[in-house]
Amino acid sequence: MTSVTGSAGPLIHIKDFRMRFGDQTVIDDLSFDVMRGETFGFLGSNGSGKTTTIRALLGIYRPTAGTLHVGGRVFSDDYGARLGYLPEERGLYKKESVLDVMTYFGRLKGLAKPAARAFSLDYLDRVELAGKADTRLDKLSAGEQQKIQLGVTIMNDPELLILDEPTKGFDPVNRRLLMDLIEERKTAGATVMMVTHQMEEVERLCDRIVLLKDGRAEAYGTIDEVQNQYGGRTVRLRHTGRVPDSPLYRVITRETNYAELVLADDVDEADVLRSLVSAGVAVRGFTASKRSMEDIFIQVYGAAALDGKAA
Amino acid sequence: MARHNLGTVVEFEFVRTVKKRRFWIATLAIPVLLAVVFGLVFLSSSATKNTASEQKNDRIPFSYTDASGLVNPAVAAALGGTVETDPATAVARVRDGRLQAFFAYPAHPATEPVRVYGADQGIFKNGAYTAVATQVLALSAEKAIGSPALSAAVQGNIQTDAATFRDGQESGGIGTLVPPLFFLVIFYVVIILLANQMLNSTLEEKENRVTEMILTTLNPTTLVVGKVISLFLVGLVQMLVFATPIAFGYTFFRDKLNLPAFDLSHLTFQFWPMLVGALLLVGGFVLFTGVLVGIGAVMPTAKEAGTVFGPMMALIFVPFYAVALVVSDPQALIVQIFTYFPLSAPVTAMLRNAFGSLSPAAAVIVIVELFGFGFLALRVAVYLFRYGSIEYSRKLSLRNAFSRKG
Repeated sequence: MTSVTGSAGPLIHIKDFRMRFGDQTVIDDLSFDVMRGETFGFLGSNGSGKTTTIRALLGIYRPTAGTLHVGGRVFSDDYGARLGYLPEERGLYKKESVLDVMTYFGRLKGLAKPAARAFSLDYLDRVELAGKADTRLDKLSAGEQQKIQLGVTIMNDPELLILDEPTKGFDPVNRRLLMDLIEERKTAGATVMMVTHQMEEVERLCDRIVLLKDGRAEAYGTIDEVQNQYGGRTVRLRHTGRVPDSPLYRVITRETNYAELVLADDVDEADVLRSLVSAGVAVRGFTASKRSMEDIFIQVYGAAALDGKAA
Repeated sequence: MARHNLGTVVEFEFVRTVKKRRFWIATLAIPVLLAVVFGLVFLSSSATKNTASEQKNDRIPFSYTDASGLVNPAVAAALGGTVETDPATAVARVRDGRLQAFFAYPAHPATEPVRVYGADQGIFKNGAYTAVATQVLALSAEKAIGSPALSAAVQGNIQTDAATFRDGQESGGIGTLVPPLFFLVIFYVVIILLANQMLNSTLEEKENRVTEMILTTLNPTTLVVGKVISLFLVGLVQMLVFATPIAFGYTFFRDKLNLPAFDLSHLTFQFWPMLVGALLLVGGFVLFTGVLVGIGAVMPTAKEAGTVFGPMMALIFVPFYAVALVVSDPQALIVQIFTYFPLSAPVTAMLRNAFGSLSPAAAVIVIVELFGFGFLALRVAVYLFRYGSIEYSRKLSLRNAFSRKG
């Protein structure tokens, strides 16, 4: 595992965190830091303890043992004004109007009433819901409600965004909106901690990650460091003919005209290509790269975990 | 930030309640319904009163026999009566429709009934026979006494003005009993109107999955206290809505509406009973609020909360089954149990306070108990909300909730 240090210091510090529910240990001696200004991926299969960790970090659960700090101390609602939290279980006051609900949460986050209204109206204009300001939330479509949920999350320009499966249930339009908002907050210097099963998002957005398995940190570090930890390089092969087994590589995906190979340590990519050609494989495409996060996720948790895509 | 957020919560909860059309429909429905009922009762009682008043002065043809010797023939004749010699024939004539009415006055009218026979004229007009038969005897007695004042005295139509003393001081009688009972009325109105809203106030966060966003922005104590304050304000608005038309009608249309003319100067507002009543009211409100919010935090839905809510609410009515005992024998075991059992204590103690049977020591114990249990219940409710509302669709296990490490 990689030790993290930085001049800015961690915004989130979790050390020796343990969580038990009755006789069941859900988290066991988990430690990691989230540095200021970075985007951090908190990954794991269903039931691995991600949501429990976030809830304990934010004071919703009381930890059995360990240290969980946000901004150098145990989280309290005083920090709520600087936090944008999108929980996995999410909702809003459905019988109230959009503007009333957004203004309410804005005020709870420390904005004055006029500022909260102004922020809300600007946001509604941006997401093309300006005409729905006085509409009851339960009269909006699911996609429109998601937009409001995102608006409430980013009110008061939080310095820390904690997003628990942010794209869960989102349509492609709102997924795009979410990504734009995350990028904006990153550009503004915010720290982002996100739970997701979308590995392409992890590779694109995250500076560092932790993989949680059975309540323990299975891997922790930058994307590169984790990819190196799990066998380095893969080859994506487009071909005709059967790819033979070889000590030079391990076939992890085998389709009619496509295969993915994990190269053995210290094997040269050119040797692999030569081996394939000499075995009679008609190679039409050969792309070497580091192992994808999706491959690593499947290796750690099994294919079922990725298919599940739930917390 | 907590104080700022408390104001924000109170404003949000209060405004969103009073902005709703259904709130005003439900609130205004009660005074409108009361007005309709009172109107019907007023019209009905006026008609009945007028009918009875007119009936007794009706002049209807009747015959009578008088075994008592009390009937004055002149009075009877003035009301249309003639002396009958054969009662059996008279009854037969009434039966055949040849005579409208026949009254048979017994030898002792005070102990025996006057037999009244009449041709049927419908349920209301038939009352005229009894009215006239009674009036004949009453006017005859008044004439025999020779003095309307003596006659009124004989009938017990006299007014009294009593003064009683305790510890050398004049006690106010019924005038001292009524004011402390206002607190009991307010308690019932507040609990009946607001209990359901108290129960559902935190269920909304759970059912709408808002809990996590709220708990990371707001102290749960601030949220719960804010909701309680806003509910109290909502209750005040409702009571004002109920009281305004009554006060308006009483002040400006008392005569036209035939409202009873209460002499408010007879009410005596004694300091200690009023203070004790006020403290019992607030303590009872705090206790019931805490318990109801706690139930809402444990239960996943309003429907499931309702199953616990019903029996609990029954406890505020149970003391009324023993109200006679509360008044006449406050030391009875059941009254003592009702006085000190927290959920029945507010009503029982307020009754005893009004009737002057709640000793200072008992009052202090009950008030301390109500506030103590009330704040404890609120703390538990906040704790259960914190850990219960996150369970969302599941009922919170109290064992698990309280076994969480602090």
